[in-house]
Amino acid sequence: MPTLAHLLHLSPETLWMVAKVLIVFGGPFTLASLLTWVERRGAAMIQDRIGPNRAALFGKWRLLGLPQIAADGIKAFLKEDLVPPHVNKLVFWVAPLLTFLPAVMGFAIIPFGQSFVSGGQTYHLSLLDPGNGMGMLYPLAIGSMAVYGVLTAAWSSNNKWSILGGMRASAQMVSYEIGMSLAVITVFMRAGAYDPHLIIQAQLGLWNVLPQFLGFLVFTTCMFAETNRLPFDFAEGEAEIVAGYLTEYGSMKFALMYLSEYVHMVTASALIVTLYFGGWRVPFVADPGVWLSVLAFVIKLLCFCWLFIWIRWTLPRFRYDQLMKFGWKVMLPLSMANFLIHAFLMFKGA
Amino acid sequence: MFLIFALITLLGALAMFRSRNLIVAGLCLVLCFLGVAGLFLLLANPVAAALQIIVYSGAIVVLVLFVIMLLNSHEEEAAAQPHRIQRWLGALAAAVLGAGACKAVLSSPGLVRIGQESPARVMDLQQVGTSLFQQHVVAFEAAGLLLLAAMVAAVALVKKEL
Amino acid sequence: MAILIKQVELSWLDRTYVWPILKGMAITLGHFFRQLFTPTAKRFTIQYPEMKKEMPEGYRGLHELKRFEDGSVKCVACFMCAEACPARCITIEAEEFSDLNLTQGFEEKRPKRFEIDLLRCIFCGMCEEACPKDAIWLRKDYELVGVDREGMRYGKWDLLNTYAGLDGKPVLTTDPKPSTPSRKEVACS
Repeated sequence: MPTLAHLLHLSPETLWMVAKVLIVFGGPFTLASLLTWVERRGAAMIQDRIGPNRAALFGKWRLLGLPQIAADGIKAFLKEDLVPPHVNKLVFWVAPLLTFLPAVMGFAIIPFGQSFVSGGQTYHLSLLDPGNGMGMLYPLAIGSMAVYGVLTAAWSSNNKWSILGGMRASAQMVSYEIGMSLAVITVFMRAGAYDPHLIIQAQLGLWNVLPQFLGFLVFTTCMFAETNRLPFDFAEGEAEIVAGYLTEYGSMKFALMYLSEYVHMVTASALIVTLYFGGWRVPFVADPGVWLSVLAFVIKLLCFCWLFIWIRWTLPRFRYDQLMKFGWKVMLPLSMANFLIHAFLMFKGA
Repeated sequence: MFLIFALITLLGALAMFRSRNLIVAGLCLVLCFLGVAGLFLLLANPVAAALQIIVYSGAIVVLVLFVIMLLNSHEEEAAAQPHRIQRWLGALAAAVLGAGACKAVLSSPGLVRIGQESPARVMDLQQVGTSLFQQHVVAFEAAGLLLLAAMVAAVALVKKEL
Repeated sequence: MAILIKQVELSWLDRTYVWPILKGMAITLGHFFRQLFTPTAKRFTIQYPEMKKEMPEGYRGLHELKRFEDGSVKCVACFMCAEACPARCITIEAEEFSDLNLTQGFEEKRPKRFEIDLLRCIFCGMCEEACPKDAIWLRKDYELVGVDREGMRYGKWDLLNTYAGLDGKPVLTTDPKPSTPSRKEVACS
């Protein structure tokens, strides 16, 4: 690391920071665009179809339909950027940004590999170093900001369907945030820390899923709600309210919103992995080293991304009242029970 | 950095007062809160910053916006013109409050220490917890009780038949 | 009429929702892998330009005017098909042979113009049923495209050659010189 930095006439810290920023912002972005492909092909396979496989590079290489991503991107860029006349222009323009930024920023705290020492210096594989005091509160804070994108998009569209979608989304996110927070607090309590590095350290022998299976269930469900993925995709609900808050959006603005859903998915999977599946830990290996740990993290991440897609094509959408009932009467008591059980066990010294 | 965050906060607050549109005002309020969170970060208190974002911008303003949207008639009612004397009284009250707050802050013993014990230690969640439940436990419980009472009262007001 | 709603008693396991969801996920994953490992040829989806659907017997596709061995038209321009056509898309102009001594497949009358406006045709197969000579068939070609309206008016030579490539027959552009014997020769022998 120092030699490479010396070659580039940069201090190691600067180089490392630049590299991390590139990885942390580029990684989820790339992964998200890949996920759009996985989603479409996977959905097709689940439904005994084939899915998009016609787009080809230079009309020759089909590569299992992967060029579809590029084709979609080009299409979105070249389309007419239509702004309907009845919208609130400023907010309409700001909304895609408000959706996209929280989605990308959330990943910054996640350690995606084991810290390593090079040239007498420790390098941490997360954008925000441990001991910054924010810890896992940071993704929660960023996640709570995500609702504004939906809300502003919905309101500025000046459209009944959009407003309905936005209101559903905001109500849903607020009600599921509480259950989620309680589940996360249990993890904090068990680990005795709220810094992701320390949480992962605490999962050395046993990943958190096993002792806190209830918490894991609650957290994952809430993550589905937070990312607006299918059993909870009330904000879009295409059978009921056209496309919800996306109704008036087109071209690149739509693409940005659409992509940020997938970035959200990546971030949510990363959170689940960090909190409950030992982050970068490899089973039965105490000290896996950098590459192996990154690999383990990415594999776990992909598994959860697939889970998101898989669930989407398995479960039908809830009804709105069912959603609210589920959030307040099932999720919240469950996570509270989880919290109390663990508090009691800790009090007993187990 | 301080200037940037302070400017964000002030501009957000100003824009909120100036904007005629309730939703835009709400968004400006969020901007203002984000600025405050940044100021907390500068004060080496990331926990307060995170909580500021989660609770204020994340939950409360969302609820406020939600209610506004729910009741949105899309036609702004003209605000009743306040009487001139009211306006002056309001300005006077704000000035008195502001001056009092400034005086209280300036005369607090903590301010003297800030210059001496720099750099401030990063406040983390554990410290917040211990200080809440050890030094301020009575105030904490009282606040909790108050909120509970408020909640019960709200439900009792809204629900005709319990 | 009252609707009876069947109340289903859910077992304890089903009421947790987790177990039924897992069952559902198993089903979808099963479909996923089954589809993933099915070769393309056996999938439900037909990859169209490369693979084509085998149309069932009795399918009514593009028309063909049948011809005799020597390439002459079987049609005798009797106008039965034009009369039977509910869409009125068949236009026939008959002609007599210039030399009545020569028969073409033993017929003396043939269409000078035989035109089907395929944009009007509803592919009902009435013409096929009406034809006394089995001269018009609706076969299995369903790839019927054109760039303009005129291009969709298939004339006599188009209709004679619609399946020429498929059947490996030569493409005709003129009525053949009759190779069959003339009536005189038939009478003599």
